[in-house]
Amino acid sequence: MRFIKDFMKKKIIYSAALCLISWGFSACNRDLLSPIPQTSVSDASAFSTVSRVQTQLLSLYGSANATNIGGLKDGNLYGGRYVVYGDIRGEDFINETGNLITGSDVWAENPTNSATAVATLWNAGYLTINKCNIFLDGMAAGGATVVGADLGKQYVAEAKLIRGLVYYSLLQYYARPYADGSGSKPGLPLRLSGIKGAGQSDLVRSSVADVYAQVLKDLNEAETDLPSKYTAASDNVTRAHKNTAIALKTRVYLSMQNYASVVTEANKMVSATAPFSSPANVANALQPDITAVFTTYTTPESIFSMPMTGTAGDNPGTQNQLAYYYSPTPANGGVGNGEFSLNPNGIIANTGWKSTDKRRSFIKQSGTTTVKNWLNKYKTASPYTDYVPVIRYAEVLLNLAEAKVRTSNTVDAQAVALLNAVRNRSDAATTFTAASFAAPTDLINAILTERRIEFLGEGLRNNDLMRLLQTIPAKGTAQAKAPTDNGYIWPISASELALNKLATDN
Amino acid sequence: MVGDAQQLSEVVVIGYGTQTRRDATGSIGSVKGSAIANMPIQSFESGLAGRTAGVQITVPNGVLNNPPVFRIRGTNSISLSSQPLIVVDGVPAFTGDYSSTSAPANPLASINPNDIESMDVAKDAAATAIYGSRAANGVVFITTKRGKAGAVKVNYDGWVGFSNAYRLPLLLNAQEYINFKTQAVANNPTASAVKYTQINDANGNPIDTKWYDQVYRQGVSHNHNVNISGGSEKTNYYFSVGYSNQQGILKKNDFQRINTLFNMDSKLGKLFTVGGKISYSNEKNLSSSSSGSLYGEAFNTGGLGRLAIVLPPIIAPYNNDGSYNLNGAAIGSSNISGISSLSYYNPVVQLENNRSNSESNHIQSNVYAQFKPADWITLRSTYGIDYLLINNDIFWSPKGGDGYSYNGYGSAISGTYKTWVWTNTIQFDKTFAGSHNFSLLAGQEQQRRTSNAFGINRQGLSDDAYNQIQAGWVTNNATGMTYGENYLLSGFGRLTYNYKEKYFLSGNVRQDEYSALGEKKGVFWGASAGWEIAQEGFWKAAKLDNVFSSFKIRGSYGKVGNIGGIGDYTPYSTYASGLYGGAATLYFSNVGNPNLKWETSLKTDVGFNFGLFNDRITGEVAYYKNDIDNLILYVGQSPSTGLPTNPPQNVGTMYNKGLELSLNARIINAKNFQWNSNFNITFNKNEVTSLAPGLNSIQTWIGGGTSEIVNQTQPGYSLGQLYVVRTNGIDPATGKRIFVNSQGQNVYYQYYVPTSTDPAQKQYAYSTTPDGKTQYISPTGGTSITQAADGVMYANVLPKQYGGWDNTFKYKNFDLSVLLTYQLGFYVYYGTNAGLHDQRWWNNAKDVLTDAWQKEGDTGKKYARPVYGDNVSNGSSMPLDMNVFKGDFLRLRSLSLGYTLPSSLLSKARISNLRVYVSGQNLGILTKYPGPDPEVSANGASSNNSTSSQGVDRNTIGNARTITVGLRAGF
Repeated sequence: MRFIKDFMKKKIIYSAALCLISWGFSACNRDLLSPIPQTSVSDASAFSTVSRVQTQLLSLYGSANATNIGGLKDGNLYGGRYVVYGDIRGEDFINETGNLITGSDVWAENPTNSATAVATLWNAGYLTINKCNIFLDGMAAGGATVVGADLGKQYVAEAKLIRGLVYYSLLQYYARPYADGSGSKPGLPLRLSGIKGAGQSDLVRSSVADVYAQVLKDLNEAETDLPSKYTAASDNVTRAHKNTAIALKTRVYLSMQNYASVVTEANKMVSATAPFSSPANVANALQPDITAVFTTYTTPESIFSMPMTGTAGDNPGTQNQLAYYYSPTPANGGVGNGEFSLNPNGIIANTGWKSTDKRRSFIKQSGTTTVKNWLNKYKTASPYTDYVPVIRYAEVLLNLAEAKVRTSNTVDAQAVALLNAVRNRSDAATTFTAASFAAPTDLINAILTERRIEFLGEGLRNNDLMRLLQTIPAKGTAQAKAPTDNGYIWPISASELALNKLATDN
Repeated sequence: MVGDAQQLSEVVVIGYGTQTRRDATGSIGSVKGSAIANMPIQSFESGLAGRTAGVQITVPNGVLNNPPVFRIRGTNSISLSSQPLIVVDGVPAFTGDYSSTSAPANPLASINPNDIESMDVAKDAAATAIYGSRAANGVVFITTKRGKAGAVKVNYDGWVGFSNAYRLPLLLNAQEYINFKTQAVANNPTASAVKYTQINDANGNPIDTKWYDQVYRQGVSHNHNVNISGGSEKTNYYFSVGYSNQQGILKKNDFQRINTLFNMDSKLGKLFTVGGKISYSNEKNLSSSSSGSLYGEAFNTGGLGRLAIVLPPIIAPYNNDGSYNLNGAAIGSSNISGISSLSYYNPVVQLENNRSNSESNHIQSNVYAQFKPADWITLRSTYGIDYLLINNDIFWSPKGGDGYSYNGYGSAISGTYKTWVWTNTIQFDKTFAGSHNFSLLAGQEQQRRTSNAFGINRQGLSDDAYNQIQAGWVTNNATGMTYGENYLLSGFGRLTYNYKEKYFLSGNVRQDEYSALGEKKGVFWGASAGWEIAQEGFWKAAKLDNVFSSFKIRGSYGKVGNIGGIGDYTPYSTYASGLYGGAATLYFSNVGNPNLKWETSLKTDVGFNFGLFNDRITGEVAYYKNDIDNLILYVGQSPSTGLPTNPPQNVGTMYNKGLELSLNARIINAKNFQWNSNFNITFNKNEVTSLAPGLNSIQTWIGGGTSEIVNQTQPGYSLGQLYVVRTNGIDPATGKRIFVNSQGQNVYYQYYVPTSTDPAQKQYAYSTTPDGKTQYISPTGGTSITQAADGVMYANVLPKQYGGWDNTFKYKNFDLSVLLTYQLGFYVYYGTNAGLHDQRWWNNAKDVLTDAWQKEGDTGKKYARPVYGDNVSNGSSMPLDMNVFKGDFLRLRSLSLGYTLPSSLLSKARISNLRVYVSGQNLGILTKYPGPDPEVSANGASSNNSTSSQGVDRNTIGNARTITVGLRAGF
């Protein structure tokens, strides 16, 4: 008991004081156990304000792309790579660097299931689709009330257009063309509601026809509720309006070889006679000078483009930029990395494409002993802020022209006029007449050639080859790919096959 | 280093206190600071390999100051950190790599190995449970030196070291390259444009570049420490300063440290003691550019280690006019026609113009007050801080390489990472009735950590001469933005009891509440018992004590947790901000889980310690088992779900079990000759027993990239098994690579497929017949061999046995120490070997001359008929079993020979002792592994991914061989 007595004496005072001080001061700050994120917005309040709904909608168009988080403008989608793949699969480019990361395998038509292109385009596409789905769910669950009925409808329409476009775009690489069995072949896993957690990996691939049906449903519904135009002129290029939906539908129907519907849709936004322009909605029309379209990005010719700025995360990101792929290195007078040069035996060898044609000014030559030609359509240097075209009015004109010929099976006069509209503005010296074409197929071939000239570097070549089930021609060391050959379409992403038990490979 | 007789009374550090080894019933390994004090290392962990049972250290590459892979009793997590908690003088330290550049920054390098008194490694539940939710991977207590009462002591330690790369693969020289590569071109008619031409250098000699010489060097390092210590009955102090300047084997890769430490304790009267510590360290981690060896760098086209092996010997770093040999960003290759660009960089341009550095300023400090109102009551309050400030500095010249497409690129990131910890404890130590010894500890602790980093990234140099971030640039962007905070609130207690130092009991409990979890609160505990049989009467009666001077049986069991490496906001699903054409956007960016909780580890430990022949031989045997549950897995969902991140879930179970054995013997103990030997071995078995429902396997990309998957974790196997496609040699008739598909069927591959208009002659890349005419169709309809379809769980990467054997010899004034370390029973994927046999223009290993198929009838060849462009037969396009090798090794980790000058000589010079020594690190290695170093890892010690931190060698730089000469003088 003595120690207790000792303790009871003066020491107890010290002890008590020390205890009180230490336990009292350190009586912890329990608030710190539930920190509120300071640099992000919580899931629970993502649709709580007008601003949050609006900024979420804009994220469907695009967001910081370097980190691969989806959105139409993602560097793997319409920010760059999707468009690049569309051209380099075709015969008009030659791979210069042999780099698998920058699509040498896409060019050679032999990417594997785990190839960078195969995996990243799939990822970016579905990230975007899921964002659209989450947004649509959120709008239905009250987001529409936050912004009001009118804006709510418009936003939903914009989201649907983006979802439809992405499904269409993925079909062009991962599924057999519609023409092969009228869409009966395996298409894509069709996901239409938002996924925010684990447990929904497995989904079988819907048929090509089913996916196309959804694409058209989305685009049709979008057309109904989209605004005919925006107040800010630049929004008419960077956000979806009625003509965007219509224009995309001409592309989609063309891919399905549903030419009658191409004509129906195109007629909504193409006047009957030259000069062609959209009679309704945004006054989309050709620009007098094609080169202006690639320097002034927001002309009425650009129905839909992906805007870029110099701010990090607002441009395509490393190794995604069009100019990085096509423009030669600075040593050769360009701003890019010279990943792909123009195939000397490709479209640039076409003798009908006159040297005075303004579109020849997009070709840049380098070297004296070894001459190489480069596409110079995209000119801005790093961080590469050229807008990326999604769809231009010229395409709608040529879509209509081709559909007119195919539906009528004649050398259609309006088709010739439409072809001339595109040709003459760059090459006034060449004017086609009905007499220029012995048979309807000659006119179709002329239109297809015109597409290769007009849209060089705009990502349409793959879609054109696919929709017509044409053999991908040989180029350089790459061999031709017939529609029956392995590699005619891409394989399905290896991680999809590994994690989605119901997925099947091509 | 379980010690000799004296060590039973030696003090071991346990959480919030100390114990004598005699009283400890937990499993604790101890290493003296002096064992590692003068090794040519940056941080102390690198020196721990082989020194105590249960501890596995793997230094992942030869880049200076990269954190070693540190494992105690196996790898104990999948997604979270498997690195132990490191507590430095009572304050949990930052661990990992805090650099944002190609020069890693391990914060533990701020602790000068020379200042370390002891390192105590707590392994079982009894020893670790007092650290509750952070204890699953073990706890390492670092105690720095303190002064002792007595005269002032001054010590100087210094060494100079020379480091070199070793066991680099032999490569083709210029002539061999041209001959071999030309042959490959001849075998591929589609590549007829490709032609290799020998050209001459400025002196007219044929160019034959040894790229190793351009990238590697002999690193010269020196290191100096001075410490002053002393004290009186009332006050003691320890003060030290250190300077280290180390050069790596890679050019421009340096580590420079200046540091100081001051420790002091002072008694105020009879009741109070106050004291504290202040340490400051400045470290510069320097490199020119990517080494290709750190996490995420394996496939860099600018990775220096990779460039040294991939670049052709027939091109040179400089043109004959002295300018750099460049073609855009890439190295120029004018004498290789038919290829427009090699796309790989010129390493010399990077080495001479670029930098990728980080600099740490690190303050670790604490202060305490202790009050003993009675000799059996101790109240103590300790407040500690750990402030880590890091500056990152990257410059990429526009001349070539990474900076080319940006026309120059700079990045500067400043990061501040702060911890404060406040601990209050009360302890009662009392003996009742002379034989019941009780000790009771109760405490409360709070720890707060904040991280805050921001930076700028600038592109497009305004002037060629600029190379600083503050200079003129065209484009400015934010980079390296980090904001985080977490808070850990804990209460804990411990009761130990022993009866007559014969029967021992202990119990530990801790409750933690952690901000970064959904379910925040958890209770963890550990209990142990021990029995010192040698103290029993019957033992003595049986005269067993003549042999066994001590024999103690012990066991422990408990539940601890793991939260290491979990993100501060992991439970939350969040939306982040982005931009669309200048307008703000908000997007779903992170998938959280509001029910997220800690991973749990149930630890069992049973063993005995013994001393033989008056403790001339001591030993310890322990069986352990860690049963791990609630593993947090970021469960991968199919990409078509479109989730931005994989959602974290508490699923998954795993165990590590094994046996540890250590033996320590004073084999010879004569007057003039002594030989002490310590041997330890750990047998570990790791098995993943379940993953998430619906998740059959976890595949891991090398270095978190997107280039190659080679590890797969699957229930029934150990973590991160190598997942590769099998091969069956080379077809002797055609020289084709034979793959083995998932069904065990041989599939013959040809990269070049001859074309024919005759359908009967049509050939295929993958064929079931050697002639290539029967197209291979897989069971799922595919027509090629792929890893997804045909990969198999091939081999384990975690060693089944590891340990060390340490010997110290003393003969008169000479001393010799020899440390051997080993890891056995594991495999390494030597991905570099794929690149070394790639049939693009890449340079090849010399063995292609003898081991590649040449003509019909060549049997037993390792490599396919060389066909230009072939990157499939060798394993570049998918990982193959032929590039997997046994990693087993026995390494002469360190050898040191010293001579202590006789004190009679020294006393005149007022020197109390002086020892000179020469030592070598990594002098030899016994292994069948063909690469430079089986211990490397292309995945680094990445703290957030344990599935693959060993066993992948992909363009990785091996560890250096270092010779040092040093002296230690005491005054």
